[in-house]
Amino acid sequence: MHSRPCVLALLALVGLPSLAAAQLTVRADRDLRFGVVIQGVSKYVPPNDPIYSGEFEFTASIGNQVQLRFTLPNNLAGPAGATMPITFGNNDAIAQGTGPTSVPVIFNPKGVSVFRLVTSNRILVFIGGRVTPAANQRTGSYTAPIVFTVTIL
Amino acid sequence: MHNLTKVAALMGLALGVTATAAAQNNATINATAVIQQPIVVSAARALDFGNVFPGVASTIGVAAASSGEFAVTGQASSPANMTFVLPTNLVNGGNNLPIGTWTGYWNQANNAVAGGTAFTPSAGSTGMTFSGTGNAWVFVGATVTPAVAQVAGTYTGTVQMTVTY
Repeated sequence: MHSRPCVLALLALVGLPSLAAAQLTVRADRDLRFGVVIQGVSKYVPPNDPIYSGEFEFTASIGNQVQLRFTLPNNLAGPAGATMPITFGNNDAIAQGTGPTSVPVIFNPKGVSVFRLVTSNRILVFIGGRVTPAANQRTGSYTAPIVFTVTIL
Repeated sequence: MHNLTKVAALMGLALGVTATAAAQNNATINATAVIQQPIVVSAARALDFGNVFPGVASTIGVAAASSGEFAVTGQASSPANMTFVLPTNLVNGGNNLPIGTWTGYWNQANNAVAGGTAFTPSAGSTGMTFSGTGNAWVFVGATVTPAVAQVAGTYTGTVQMTVTY
């Protein structure tokens, strides 16, 4: 009976310092938006599109080696169960540091990429893609989630 | 001792879980698109001034039987924009016949008199909205101003309309 409060106190002590040391945050800034897409007409949004590309950002510590990974959809889901293919090319992701000497890095969003943070601790990550509607694609709104995961190695 | 063992085991678990959660994080955005039907613009009727006489300006209003007319189909109830490329002269060989004072009228029904909206084709991009069945009609009028010494003959020009979402 006497030992239980001690255990809880120790857990609290070890938990707080570990969270403060990690310093990894990931944020969703902007959806990847294809806007109006015409039936039968493929539409591409490049990752450097300042308005329609998807955008995330993360912060970690300079010197951290980080692994970036997307969980990408194969289709967007539309009305009444309709689906529309979405694809991502090998150059459809860009990582851009926010430091004054940061250089954008193009990478493949379909794979796992590893970077080391050298000049900035806040990184913007952009993603583009292509949708390919069928000629008789059901009209309406389509959507699918894109998950971006950062791991400090 | 038994209590110490439990404490150590719990500490290890707590450290492990906390470190894993802090070293990995994720966020989610959506990929979105709106599928719409293609826009189709058809030239339904030429803007025809018929016979005009030297020195006498002639105007065809949008409601006239010989006004220019376009039929447009697209996504039902969706907004769109119209832009025009308009001639400043009708041409007959090397002779020009000035044309201007453009007028326009768009409607969700094939009616140039009522239920639609007047606009000025030469004013730049103009908004319109397709009907609930995805139709729209656009009527165009103008004025030609022949000179007193205008050379007789048939004069033509091209009116181009572009509609985009």
